[in-house]
Amino acid sequence: MKAAAPVFILGRAWHTRQWLQWLGVLAAACAALTWSAQDLHLSISELVKGLPWVADFVSRMVPPNWSFMQRLVRPVFETIQLAIWGTLLAILLALPLCFLAARNLTPSPLVFHATRQVFNAARGINEIIFALVFVAAVGLGPFAGVLALSIHGAGMLGKFFAEAIEEADPGPVEALRATGARPLQVIVFAVLPQALPAWIAATLYRLEVNLRAATILGMVGAGGIGFELYSSLKLFQYEDTATCVIVILVMVMTADYVSSRLRARILAR
Amino acid sequence: MIEVRGLSKRYGELAALVDVSLEVGAGEMVVVLGPSGAGKSTLLRCINRLIEPSAGEVRIGGEPAPGTRAGLRRLRSQVGMIFQDHNLVPRLSVLKNVLAGRLSRMPEWMSLLQLFRAADVRIALDCLGRVELEDRAWSRADRLSGGQQQRVGIARALAQEPRAILADEPVASLDPKTARIVLSDLKRASRELGIAVLCNLHQVGYAMEFADRVIGIHAGRVVFEGSPDALDAQALAQIYPGLDGLSEADAEPDSVPAPLADLLS
Repeated sequence: MKAAAPVFILGRAWHTRQWLQWLGVLAAACAALTWSAQDLHLSISELVKGLPWVADFVSRMVPPNWSFMQRLVRPVFETIQLAIWGTLLAILLALPLCFLAARNLTPSPLVFHATRQVFNAARGINEIIFALVFVAAVGLGPFAGVLALSIHGAGMLGKFFAEAIEEADPGPVEALRATGARPLQVIVFAVLPQALPAWIAATLYRLEVNLRAATILGMVGAGGIGFELYSSLKLFQYEDTATCVIVILVMVMTADYVSSRLRARILAR
Repeated sequence: MIEVRGLSKRYGELAALVDVSLEVGAGEMVVVLGPSGAGKSTLLRCINRLIEPSAGEVRIGGEPAPGTRAGLRRLRSQVGMIFQDHNLVPRLSVLKNVLAGRLSRMPEWMSLLQLFRAADVRIALDCLGRVELEDRAWSRADRLSGGQQQRVGIARALAQEPRAILADEPVASLDPKTARIVLSDLKRASRELGIAVLCNLHQVGYAMEFADRVIGIHAGRVVFEGSPDALDAQALAQIYPGLDGLSEADAEPDSVPAPLADLLS
């Protein structure tokens, strides 16, 4: 029997079998989406019914209570301090481990996989969950937040640092080994200069992420401006909430702008 | 200065080097010729043990290759190496790249803190002077041209105050004029400082111009050894078998310069 002539779509020939495969995939996707939508109670009518309440909420937020600003000075500084120390400790945790997690420097495949898994675990668990654990361990307050940011950040930085090491050109490394330099000297003179720009860029990015994370740590009592945001909501002081949101937006956008400008400059060098 | 006896290197079934013996005297420049894949790179890397040979002996200045790691580093510190792609550290200054040649003689803690003794800096600047680049000492290495970078590579090797230098295709990525400057720098340093130079090339013309002696390698074996004048059609046919069967258009103009192409036809 002669096969049916294929139909051409985007320059590729589609035979009956491929059509059937695609229809199958499409049907499965539709089924999964419908099922999820039902479980999640997605409903346009509910949204429409709720719109007046959203409007009411927003109207209660205006005008923002500008005098609330003075209460936010301390929390804003605390948020920035949290981000800085969270980043610093994350670097200190990631630095010694990242060499073990780089394929080209690791002493053995076992050590490589073990360190990568440690990084994955630290990165895979959300900061808020770590914060809850540390609040239980060291009590309410910003210290728990610093620890949460450090552990989660170390997972991310460790992976980035290790990948930057793996991208280093092996030529200079071989050249320095050939001079009789000791292993640490080879790392400091041939590997670090190549990896450093990527390391700095990753650290700046982490600082920016930490600042964003630090704005909500307060909700679980781990310090920062999130505490003020959360309590104003609970006390129905929506004008105060609005001020918090605006301050957070300004902080995050500034950090975003500064960090991306700096990163672009460093990576261009 | 470099003595190689019965050197062999096997990769499983593949014999990369078979019973290679050679000597290079102080101040002598010996060029190794051979087709790609003949084992030239492997030979150099077996001498400073970047590759561990399967059998044979290598002596530098009469000393046998030591078994310990510290001994291995001491051996390497006496043997400079120059690479096809120069292998400078791109983001470091030219001076720091040359100082890298002195790392094995510095106290480790000082070097890790980027502290350099005045004597080491003086030697590094002196070596840069030998390749006429001392005015570029503070430039970043990747700001230099290809030829300049290769000359910094020579300066780094000289900064080791080596007994021997291994040069692996040092001019393969350079234009003919720059290549001559680089090879002249290398040859002058070898003469003036009494350094034994073993240099892989694939351009027969440069070998005839710069070598004191030529060693031909084919399929991991030494098939020719003699003065550059002895490089006749027969010798070249041994080093590059099948070349005389090729038409002139097939022959790489780079590897067979005009006078030799005449010899081969």
